[in-house]
Parts: sequence; structure tokens; C-alpha cells
Amino acid sequence: MALFRLIGTGGVIAYRALFNWTTPSMFIGSLLVGPIFQLLFFAYLGRQLGVADDRFYIVGNAVLAASLSCVFGGTMAVANERRFGTLGHVLLSPRSRTAVFLGRVLPYAGNGLLIAASTLTVGALLLGLRVPVRALPGLLLALAVAALACGFFGLTLGALGLRFRDVWVVSNVSVALLLLLTGVNVPAAGLPGWMRAVGEALPITHAARGARQLAAGEGLAAAAPALAAEAAVGLGYALLAAALLKIFEAESRRRASLDAL
Amino acid sequence: MSGYAIEAVGLRRTYRSRTGWLRPQRREVEAVRGVDLTVGNGELFGLLGPNGAGKTTTIKLLNTLLIPTAGTARVCGHDVVTQTREVRRRIGYVFGGDRGLYDRLSARDNLRYFAELYGVPAREQKRRIAELLDLVRLTGREQERVEGYSRGMRQRLHIARGLLHRPRVLFLDEPSIGVDPVAARELRRTVADLAATGTTVLLTTHYMAEADELCDRIAVIANGTIQALGTPAELRHHADGRQVLEVEAYGVADAQLAAIHALPGVREASVTVTGATQVLTVQSDAGVDVQAAVLRELDGVRLGRVTARQPTLEDAYVAIVNRINAPTRPLEAVGG
Repeated sequence: MALFRLIGTGGVIAYRALFNWTTPSMFIGSLLVGPIFQLLFFAYLGRQLGVADDRFYIVGNAVLAASLSCVFGGTMAVANERRFGTLGHVLLSPRSRTAVFLGRVLPYAGNGLLIAASTLTVGALLLGLRVPVRALPGLLLALAVAALACGFFGLTLGALGLRFRDVWVVSNVSVALLLLLTGVNVPAAGLPGWMRAVGEALPITHAARGARQLAAGEGLAAAAPALAAEAAVGLGYALLAAALLKIFEAESRRRASLDAL
Repeated sequence: MSGYAIEAVGLRRTYRSRTGWLRPQRREVEAVRGVDLTVGNGELFGLLGPNGAGKTTTIKLLNTLLIPTAGTARVCGHDVVTQTREVRRRIGYVFGGDRGLYDRLSARDNLRYFAELYGVPAREQKRRIAELLDLVRLTGREQERVEGYSRGMRQRLHIARGLLHRPRVLFLDEPSIGVDPVAARELRRTVADLAATGTTVLLTTHYMAEADELCDRIAVIANGTIQALGTPAELRHHADGRQVLEVEAYGVADAQLAAIHALPGVREASVTVTGATQVLTVQSDAGVDVQAAVLRELDGVRLGRVTARQPTLEDAYVAIVNRINAPTRPLEAVGG
């Protein structure tokens, strides 16, 4: 029970304390409106160039929208501890680090799901995409899996913040890489082999593929392998984040690498 | 179990840093160079020293944030390197300054979050937070965001956070730094109350009056080693056989200070600046009247009040710390 409180209550309080975009203007502007304009940009560009149809861009950008709050949220979850000077007090906690930081992922993943669902809805309405009603539960599942995988990916980047002061650089580059390598806006077939390989290891790639299958009416059974692959990628990042947090915390005690207090 | 709340033996910590990429330069700084100390259960122990003396590093070694390069330390009988979780359950940590709190949250939410982190059982949290808000006199302001708090209020909230899980040992790292006199007095009262309830307190401070008023024993640390250790009364003996002359002045030059320092019978001479006024403090051998010679050296400087007085703990501290510039620097343990 105490563990669930640490993950649930602790995670929500940490989210309010550390996430920079919680004010209504920031949340709506940066997280809800921004991705819709990005979706429209790529959809119209796609129409001009004849690369893919609207569904490709609407679904792809909706899944991509889940990543924004997760990648930056995960980074803020650690980097802002440095900013407020609270990192030392968090590290002095006798509780499990995995539980403390896992709790921080969940609100960001929830945010990601909300933003992705909103982007998909508004994008479909604006561009006239018809999604079969029976596909909606599956699409919601795909967006949820993508958001969670992105949350753990973001936490991995955040863990780097225990070791490297300028971790925002990594977040900015990661967002650009997600845009390029995950097949959400550039069809994977058009990418060089090594880029496709890197994309396979990133979150969103598999969820976007599964979500497109669902939006095309192929059914959950057809999309299940892609969603399972996305879940596996998310799990991989969860384990990597837990390992990095442990390693970098131990290193900070040995090398005084944290300006902890 | 050990009879001591804190034990440190031969504690050392070296910081290694590297700057530059093409031609990296490595640097080593020995912040702590063999600290031995014991603090009894329920004792209020002061660690005094100038900036960079090794106070904060010593505390970080004891509270598990750093691993010693050499030596060992135990808190409540648990090793600070290998039994971190056991140590962390038993300690609280408070440091001075504006940072260290979540500015966007209220005081109550700050305490709620750290109550989760420090393992305060859910059924106790509400009562414990209310108790602590009352203790640090923040009741009624607990719903306000911390970003609007004064430094004194932040300091009191730091203390409340440090006490959430009823630690047996509390580390207070310069808690009154930058706090106004009234708030500092309140802080001292809170710390004294804590010690009265049996909490072991290790306090670092720059303020001698604070240490004198609160501490059962004091260790003076400088250059990474303990230079003197004893009760405040015992430490004052380091200035035995001295007298102090204080001169208010406006415009004492470095050369004049050096000349005063070189006068026969003068043991220490320093200048502190308070607003536009300089206060020249000269410690001299008790049997030597240096007043006339000092005033002669200050010829041409506008002077204010001139006072002769007996040495205080602060004078003893200055005497101890300045001794480290001497060629040999034996450890002096005065009683205790």
C-alpha cells in the first residue's frame, strides 16, 4: 500500500512540482495546440509532395504528440530537481529509487495519452478522416502504450541528468530524432537501413504502425504484434532508466559528480 | 549497539576534477583530511570553520551523499557507505539558503511529498505535518506557494522537512545563514527544543554566538582537519593570556594592517567591514599594552570608538583558525 502511495500520490505531487507546463496557457499552447499545427503542416506538405495520404500523417502525428510531454517531462523530473536544489533531499530518501521515479513517469504518460487523443480527434475532424468506431478502443490502447513507452524513454533521458548537467540538449535532439526516425512523418521505407534500425529501437515507431493498421480497419489482432513490440521497447527503456539511475547515483557518491545540494 | 550517535575515524575526502577537452587538466582537492570525531546520543555538537574548511563535505560524508576516500563513519551504529538505507531512515538534513524546496508547491505539499519519500506512514502524515507546521510557526501559511516565502520561512520549512520522519540525528548545515536576527533567534529556539527532546544535532555555523548558546561541544575545523575540540568554555582557553582591542575605523589599508600585525605583542589582527565602517580587531598578549602603537600605525585614518575587552569564543576561534598558517599545526584537544 505504501509503495502504491509513493508511486501514485508521490508521482502526482512530483509532477505538479517539476513539470514546467502545468499552467493552463502553457499546457494548452505547448501541448495541445502546438501538435495540431504540426500535424496540419505535415499533412499539407504530404498532400503537396504526394508522399502519403492524410491518414498517415494524422495518425502518425497523433502518436508523436504523446512524446512531447514525456520526453521533456522525464528530463524535467530530474533536471528541475537540480534547479530547485532538491535533488540531495530526494537522494537521501530511504525508499526505492525505482518506485520514486516510476511514479514520476505515470503522470507524464497520462499527459501524453491525453494530448495524443486530442490531436487525433482534432486532426481527424479538421481533415475529414473517418475512423471506424470499432477501431477506437484499439487506437486508445495504441496511444496508451506509446505514451507509456515514451514516458520510460523520457525517464532514461532524465536519468542522464544525474550525470550530465546539459541534459536539455539530449532532449532537444531526441525530439528531432523521434520526428525523423520513427516513421511518423517520413515513411520508414524511404529511410536508409541504419536509420530504420535506430527507429525500431525508439518509442512510437511500432505504436504508429499499429495505430495506422487500426485506423485502416484491420482490427486489433493485426495490430497486436506492433503494439507488443512497442510495449517491449517501453519495458526496455524502463529497465535502462532504472539501471542508469542506480549507476549514476552510486557514481555521484563516489565522484561527487552531482551538485546535489 | 554503539553508544555514539555519530562516529568518524580518519575520514578523508578528495575531490578530483578535470577541465578542458583537448588539453585536460586534472585537479585534486583534499577537502577533508582525516577527521576523527564522536557525537553522543542527544548531544548538540557544533562544527565551526571558515569557508572551504570541510564542514559541508564532512556532513555529506556522514549523511551518505558522499563516499569517503578513506576512513570510516557510522551513524546510529550503521556504516554510512554500506548501510545507507539504515542510516537514511535515522537522519534528517537541513541546510541554509533559499533553495531546496519545490517553489511551485505549498508548504503542506512540500511536506506531503517528502513524507512519502521519507517513509512516514500514511495514517500519521496529516497529524505529523500539522505538528511540524505548528513547531516551525508556519500554521496558517501552509497553503501558500513556497515561492512567496521569506528566507526565514523557508528555513523553518527546511527544518520541518528534516524532522518529518522523527530522525534520531539531525544535520543542520548553516541553517541561519542570511536569516534576519529575529528569525535566527526563533531558529535557535527550535534547535534547542529539538535537542531537549533527545534528538542528536550536528550543527555547522559561522556564527560564534549561535554555537556558544546552543552547543554542548564544538569542533573547529580548518583546512580539512579538526583543529580544536571541546566545550565552548574549554575552547575559550585558546585565547587565554590575550586581550582584545577593537577600533572602529574608516579606510584601514592592507599595509597598515600588516604593520599592526608585526607590532611586538600582537598575536592576531583582522578587519571586518560593517556597512561603511571597518572594525579592526587586534589580539595581543595580556601583559602588553598595544593600544598606543596600534593608534600610531593608524595615523591619518579616521577613527571611531576604541574598546579594550576580554576575549570571546569568537576570538578563540580566530586564534585557532589562524594557527593553521603556522609551520607546525598540532591537533589540540582541550578537555572534552
